[in-house]
Amino acid sequence: MYNLIRVELFKLRKDKAFRMLMLLISALAIIFPLFSYFDNKTHGFPLVPGIAFLFDSIGINSFFIKFGTAILAGFFIANEYSTGVMKTIVSSGNSRGRLFMAKLIGFAAGAMAISVAFPVISTIEATLLAGFGQPAVDATSVFGQLPPGVPVAFILRAFGLTLLFSASFAVISALFSTLLTESGKTIGLTIIFFMMIDTILSMLGSYFPVFETIYDYSVFKLIGQIGEPVLEVGTVQILLVPLLTIAVAGLLGAIVFRRKEIK
Amino acid sequence: MNDHVLQSNQLTKKFKGAFALDKVNLSIRKGSIYGFIGQNGAGKSTLIRIAAGLAFPTDGHIELFGAGGELELVQARKRIGSIIENPALFPNMTAAENLEANRILRGIPGKECIGRTLALVGLQDTGRKKAKNFSLGMKQRLGLGIALLSDPEFLILDEPTNGLDPMGVVEMRELLVRLNRERGITILISSHILSEVYLLATHYGIIHHGRLLEQLTAQELKGKCQQYIHIKSDNPDKASAVIQNGLKTSDFEVMPDGSIKLYGKIERPGEISALLVSSGLMLEQFMPMGEDLESYFTKRIGGISHV
Repeated sequence: MYNLIRVELFKLRKDKAFRMLMLLISALAIIFPLFSYFDNKTHGFPLVPGIAFLFDSIGINSFFIKFGTAILAGFFIANEYSTGVMKTIVSSGNSRGRLFMAKLIGFAAGAMAISVAFPVISTIEATLLAGFGQPAVDATSVFGQLPPGVPVAFILRAFGLTLLFSASFAVISALFSTLLTESGKTIGLTIIFFMMIDTILSMLGSYFPVFETIYDYSVFKLIGQIGEPVLEVGTVQILLVPLLTIAVAGLLGAIVFRRKEIK
Repeated sequence: MNDHVLQSNQLTKKFKGAFALDKVNLSIRKGSIYGFIGQNGAGKSTLIRIAAGLAFPTDGHIELFGAGGELELVQARKRIGSIIENPALFPNMTAAENLEANRILRGIPGKECIGRTLALVGLQDTGRKKAKNFSLGMKQRLGLGIALLSDPEFLILDEPTNGLDPMGVVEMRELLVRLNRERGITILISSHILSEVYLLATHYGIIHHGRLLEQLTAQELKGKCQQYIHIKSDNPDKASAVIQNGLKTSDFEVMPDGSIKLYGKIERPGEISALLVSSGLMLEQFMPMGEDLESYFTKRIGGISHV
């Protein structure tokens, strides 16, 4: 199993799509604090410190998590079917269950790296430009206002949940790529799914309350809670839902992969 | 001790109701080069894909190195190297990186095997060139390198000479023979280029429409390949008449180009040529010949009309 995970991480490091995504997100993470810095300085507003950037970028990070994992799933997993590499992997003398598990771990690691790139880089840069902790009560940057007093616990919780939720979205994307086995289809349909699922579940929920409950207890809604200073849901719920999503989607993916004929 | 590396028992595979494999009982002996021949769509790749664990049988089962259980088969596949249909490469990696990924996947200790394998398949000078920029022949050789990386006991090659230039084909053939003789690697080579298989194989399996028609050794094939005299004259009709009346045999065949394949009464070719010449025929060609794998295969599947 150790070798299987090692090879997935080796492939991830060499993966062009992963490198491009990291580069693109890093570039955006560098540009935003710069814009904010020069904009505020020009208009004489107080500078936005690192902590404010961290707070706001965690909030908008769900975009990178959803799109990043969908794109990475298409190139990192589904592409292996079209290039035929999956044939070599499956015939290598390892059980399909272990192969899928290793792939999930490698892929989730990639998704996690993508999910933290933006908040980490933008926070470091903003800190270099304007310091970390000075409160900017009247700041009017694009990222909004810094709440008074941000505890260390929030930062740890936010990063922990970001990693957990990005892993759960990665497992859902992996399930799509295992079902679809084509990178274009995987990227397109996964992005559409992630974009539409909130609307669909909300709409269905207005007719059938069960869907509202499903939505309330889904990673699709709870991901919005990551950047909240005070959680609107219980700690158990916010931890258990992504963990259960990983377990269920991972199990479904493993079942599909075990029965799949590799073309 | 089991001296077969691959055996199938009543192996059946159906796709949407049609038989891709129909109760195939195949066996490949350790140390042999097994030429698996059949037309496109005959079922060669389907059987290979089942052996490699990429597809599942509808019925029947296979054994690899005598192991037939699900987990045992997975373990047995560690002893196999394969190229199935096309060489499977990471396009954005170099040849060495491709081998490194497969080295880790297979759990092979030490990196020495990478340089050794690159040299073995003649790709040691490819440097930073990515696999996506390789020629088809280079890709094929890298695919073979990946298959050989773990020192397999059994090598499965599905159309391995695809895309190779004439020299590449010769080099590949020599390499496979060397691997078989020096390392004792059993090789299953599937191809529809029969002349290539003929130069390599020690055993043959002929598959047609999902049915394994026959398995035979190279010696048995030689014995079964019919000997004949190839005759080309200025007047095919008259030559046919002379053969029929003079030699008193109808065991011959007039080919579309007017040449004749004479199968019967060929023990004394000198007398036959003398008879034809004395009948006023001018002989353009007169050669004792033996059938090759191609003609045997064509005959075995029921002639050109069944192709």
